[in-house]
Amino acid sequence: MKTQMRNLSLLLLLLLGCSHLSSVVSWKKDEFRNCNQTPFCKRARNRKPGTCAFVAHNVTLLDGELTAKLLPKENHENPDQDHDQGQSKPLILSLLVYQDGILRLKIDEDPKLDPPKKRFEVPDVILPEFPQKKLWLQKLSKEDDSSVVYLSDGYEAVLRHEPLEVYVREKGGKRRVISLNSHGLFDFEQLKVKKEGEEWEERFRGHTDMRPYGSQSISFDVSFYDADFVYGIPEHASSLALKPTRGPGVEESEPYRLFNLDVFEYIHDSPFGLYGSIPFMISHGKSHGTSGFFWLNSAEMQIDVLGSGWDAESGISLPSSQNRIDTFWMSEAGIVDTFFFVGPGPKDVVSQYTSVTGRPAMPQLFATAYHQCRWNYRDEEDVENVDSKFDEHDIPYDVLWLDIEHTDGKRYFTWDRVLFPHPEEMQRKLAAKGRHMVTIVDPHIKRDESYFLHKEASQKGYYVKDAAGNDFDGWCWPGSSSYLDMVNPEIRSWWAEKFSVENYVGSTPSLLRGLDPQSKRCKAFTLSGFHLFLVAFLYSSVCVDTSSRLIYVVPQLVEVTMPRDALHQGGVEHREVHNAYGYYFHMATSDGLVKRGDGKDRPFVLSRAFFAGSQRYGAVWTGDNTADWDQLRVSVPMILTLGLTGISFSGADVGGFFGNPEPELLVRWYQIGAYYPFFRAHAHHDTKRREPWLFGERNTELIRDAIHMRYMLLPYFYTLFREANTSGVPVARPLWMEFPSDEATFSNDEAFMVGNSLLVQGIYTERVKHTSVYLPGKESWYDLKAGAVYKGGVTHKLEVSEECVPAFQKAGTIIPRKDRFRRSSTQMVNDPYTLVIALNSSQKAEGELYVDDGKSFSFEQGAYIHRRFVFSDGKLTSLNVASNAPGRAQFSSECLIERIILLGHSAGPKTALVEPENKNVEIEMGPLLLKSKRGSGFITIRKPNVPVAGDWTIKIL
Amino acid sequence: MKLRIVVFWVVLCVLSAASIVRSAYSPPKYLGIAPEDEKYYMSSESIKCKDGSKKFSKTQLNDNFCDCPDGTDEPASIVRSAYSPPKYLGIAPEDEKYYMSSESIKCKDGSKKFSKTQLNDNFCDCPDGTDEPGTSACPNGRFYCRNAGHVPLVLYSSRVNDGICDCCDGSDEYDDKVKCPNTCWEAGKVAREKLTRKIATFQEGVAIRKQDVERAIEAIAKDEVELSKLQNEEKTLRGLVQQLKGIIFCVMWYRHTTQEIEESSATSETGTDVGNKVSPDKVTHTTPVNQSDAARVRKEYDESSAKLSKIQSRISSLTQKQKHDFGVDKEFYSFYGQCFESKETKYVYKVCPYKQASQVDGHSTTRLGQWDKFEDSYRVMIFSNGDKCWNGPDRSLKVRLRCGLKNEITDVDEPSRCEYVALLSTPALCVEEKLKELQHKLDLMNKEQPQGHDEL
Repeated sequence: MKTQMRNLSLLLLLLLGCSHLSSVVSWKKDEFRNCNQTPFCKRARNRKPGTCAFVAHNVTLLDGELTAKLLPKENHENPDQDHDQGQSKPLILSLLVYQDGILRLKIDEDPKLDPPKKRFEVPDVILPEFPQKKLWLQKLSKEDDSSVVYLSDGYEAVLRHEPLEVYVREKGGKRRVISLNSHGLFDFEQLKVKKEGEEWEERFRGHTDMRPYGSQSISFDVSFYDADFVYGIPEHASSLALKPTRGPGVEESEPYRLFNLDVFEYIHDSPFGLYGSIPFMISHGKSHGTSGFFWLNSAEMQIDVLGSGWDAESGISLPSSQNRIDTFWMSEAGIVDTFFFVGPGPKDVVSQYTSVTGRPAMPQLFATAYHQCRWNYRDEEDVENVDSKFDEHDIPYDVLWLDIEHTDGKRYFTWDRVLFPHPEEMQRKLAAKGRHMVTIVDPHIKRDESYFLHKEASQKGYYVKDAAGNDFDGWCWPGSSSYLDMVNPEIRSWWAEKFSVENYVGSTPSLLRGLDPQSKRCKAFTLSGFHLFLVAFLYSSVCVDTSSRLIYVVPQLVEVTMPRDALHQGGVEHREVHNAYGYYFHMATSDGLVKRGDGKDRPFVLSRAFFAGSQRYGAVWTGDNTADWDQLRVSVPMILTLGLTGISFSGADVGGFFGNPEPELLVRWYQIGAYYPFFRAHAHHDTKRREPWLFGERNTELIRDAIHMRYMLLPYFYTLFREANTSGVPVARPLWMEFPSDEATFSNDEAFMVGNSLLVQGIYTERVKHTSVYLPGKESWYDLKAGAVYKGGVTHKLEVSEECVPAFQKAGTIIPRKDRFRRSSTQMVNDPYTLVIALNSSQKAEGELYVDDGKSFSFEQGAYIHRRFVFSDGKLTSLNVASNAPGRAQFSSECLIERIILLGHSAGPKTALVEPENKNVEIEMGPLLLKSKRGSGFITIRKPNVPVAGDWTIKIL
Repeated sequence: MKLRIVVFWVVLCVLSAASIVRSAYSPPKYLGIAPEDEKYYMSSESIKCKDGSKKFSKTQLNDNFCDCPDGTDEPASIVRSAYSPPKYLGIAPEDEKYYMSSESIKCKDGSKKFSKTQLNDNFCDCPDGTDEPGTSACPNGRFYCRNAGHVPLVLYSSRVNDGICDCCDGSDEYDDKVKCPNTCWEAGKVAREKLTRKIATFQEGVAIRKQDVERAIEAIAKDEVELSKLQNEEKTLRGLVQQLKGIIFCVMWYRHTTQEIEESSATSETGTDVGNKVSPDKVTHTTPVNQSDAARVRKEYDESSAKLSKIQSRISSLTQKQKHDFGVDKEFYSFYGQCFESKETKYVYKVCPYKQASQVDGHSTTRLGQWDKFEDSYRVMIFSNGDKCWNGPDRSLKVRLRCGLKNEITDVDEPSRCEYVALLSTPALCVEEKLKELQHKLDLMNKEQPQGHDEL
């Protein structure tokens, strides 16, 4: 009630205020559809288990795939009868098997039966090389009423004909992994031709969806076996372990929605869909590990997690010896194109999933450092001031961001020449300090005939059309705007060209050309060539259908997005492609940056919208959060979920976008944000300034320390980004990914692992004195700041310090650091390393370091250093793990290791022997952190000065 | 003198290093040595620097630490790793003694001691950075550059060898990754000129301020005189007005009663309130007044009371004015009743000290704030509680003051939404002490000029 009143008054305010739409103060539930207001969802949810009307027929192997016809039950006796009479025509089912335990199930309408149009299959998400991993199925075994095919060593895929069911099981055994349609909820609404008198339109808040093909939704149930929890399907501001949305004890029953929207001031703990969608779910259990299920479908999706006992009255019995989590998937359109991943470990599943949708791109080094953003740094002077204040306060940062106000009337690719008369000069100044600038580009194109982009796009017919065939005209920041049809590769490539140095005026003086030749050497070292990094505030950023042109009359918004019956090229309806639209923008923009740099520089594009595969094109942030403690808390499960579903490079706005954080909240946010894979502070333009030095000396110091922590750990982070790039395993990981058999970690989303060595937990409450931290596993943990040792497998009650959030290094690991703080990561390139070795109970430890040039693609040709450090028997050895393939490109580094700190080593040794040089180096007792005065009793090998690129051993004498 | 030598060392070490192979990270002992020199190095355990300045042991040969000023001991030196700064680099002159006094030096925070070989050895030993004034090894370190010809500078040690020239003498970049030309003379010249101009402004400003202050004191005295005069006048006038009021009252009463008597003796009319209330016995005390007298009194009363109210309002405005804070020397007295305007791209900003500040856009005016107070020792004026921002705070304006010859408002800005800042140049800020400070600074700068600079 209260919130409704509040909303009402806010609405009034909006009407009166006529200012920026984003100033709305709270999330308005009523404006967004719930399941009951979404006919396909409501219909699907009302269906009863066991009502699936299909039976598999004509099961054969064809081209190495299993294919079958799905016939409606009533007429499968006579497959050739005229289908126009009945509702359902036969469907085509195929099962494909790929390397590494991946099963693909496709179900679509039969093209031979002449459907009104081809249903939409999401293009360009599956890696082009993935189909080559297909295994040619040789043998089809029949078993009772089922067909069985090989899946991988230890697993097989089963198609049961009647009742229809597809599942993966352990070979020969009864133990199941994943199954589809075990509860008989599969339904496939087929495209129809409208007959006279039929009413197919759907209305929501005054908008009519023409639905020219009638209902075309698909739904089915999926069961995960031996599962304790399911995870994934971002993006929701909710817990890491997904809560049941239906079943006994669930009060407000609303499925998890996947529908990309710009949701102002989203609330935490809600199944409501936010800016991006990835229909990929992971299950995990203590007894048999992890499995995954991915549905490649970009239409609106709703997913129920069914609480145990939901099917008590269905009369369906599944093997009861196995713990099971049932889920129910509903989509408005598209086809069934699903992938089953067998695991069995958490990392296996992520790796399997990213072998289909792509590994995360390797970012440039600077992108992994700290970013400073605000809507908006207003003019060149503001930029210069903020930049110099960072130096004045000795706080490093790498990137300064310009939000939408830098443009000329929100015409992206242009500059407001009053506020930014010399963009090149401004960027050159930042670049001289090794810093970069990011500018924003939004997908809405201002409909202004004098705007080159609009003129060209409208002439070429590149815009998405409305149902009547005209350019869709929506209202957004620039006013009347249209949207490019990015699903089309030709339009993507046209868009990509816009980022070229010639086309994006003011983006780039060719820096080296503009140099004073005398200082070339200096510049060559400090400049990495700045980029224009584009934030695609992708999709639906406050954009409204304007059939009424009443911009601020909120009820006119159709969930602030394009109408579902808008048309893309090839007759594709927007409803079919909606969730992937931002993905194509991300792709085209990223390609544009690659082209801009002649294919030499790795692009950096941050997007708010995402879809399966976005990890290939850049980073993602969790959108417009709010400066409150709950949102600080929920940022962690949101980032972990993104990581599980492939998007490793993600972060939340530090400080909270809306509202003014209290200094304590801001400091706590920096302290945990320093461990986000993507570390950026951002703020709304109605908020007070909050650059790190504005809250008194003490808070400045605390924020500086937090940022320094990130810079110190950059070598470790960069190594993890490379791991993600090669394996898909995310930088920030849920605890259970590293401790899969420790049940206490399964629903823990307060703490997370950065790589396999670091555990971090935020402080999410104001003025707390104590906090509980669970440290998993059998090995000990070392406090990152003081080096104090804590036992594993125990929940510790810890005193909370204002100086840092709890962070620990796992015993048995080695973390590479760089302990010299510079203005930006650029100046750290040649700095020496510190290794922190945390010994486990058998006095052993291992860790890795990956180094490359930090910017180009030459690492793909092998131009990198990859070392494994192993400590055992009192000896540290550096081993090469990079391939030694002939013809491999080379990368060299003259960096040395200046310091090695041993945690958990008994005191006493005075010297160490470095081989092969055969030189002795000193051992002394030193601090864990150079800046801190506490804790200085750690064995420190002083100046071993061994090369980071070389083979060597250091023996403690 | 010492620094001269230091620079010489750097150059030599760097030169010798740069000219020699630097591929291997850990050179075999005799790497980088010309065949004809091999004997020189191998002959004994203790080797002489070729310039004869000192000796070094064989373990010091190619140990990545520069011992000989001429670089004899580091023939294979790898520039990146071996940049070993001269021992006393980055130390402020006043600290030199501290470092040279003994072989064992204390960290300034008292946490521990370090040996002279640990000084600037590119490894951090003191948490406060005492041992690494000349390298980037300590996060808390500070690097001092002398910048002869300009002013000395203290840098965060994170700026040392980071590839960016910070010190105009280039001393912060000595690892051969960048060449930093010495620009101190030019920069110093520019700075000195700038400072000289600033001093000139101050000198003139101080004079203007002096006059302003004198004028203010005069004016305040005048105000006070006027006020006390007015207060006296007010007192007398108030008496007069009272008196006249009494007379008028009496006249009216008299006229009324006589009229009443006349009227009651003739054709009696309705009585008035006044008549009814007045007791007839008082009549005997009043003097009969003729008509013209009465009019005169009336006129006099009107005039006096008008004058009184004028005086009273003047008194009130004078006392109001007196209550304001005009600064230590009353230097802001002249701001009273004045407004300063500045036209930025779209708006006209109007700042009226002691009153209010506003932003004018055509016909609409937005109040940026009411006069609040001075802050920061009269260097900032605060206007607060302006018009409310939609979905934001009340507007406010902070005006920073600086010395200038005219009262002039510039650089109006809105760094945070609805929180404005502006700059006001005014002679009121041209303070003599500050002028002396600047002159002192200039004297120092002039002293720093290197002797015999050829551009002189």
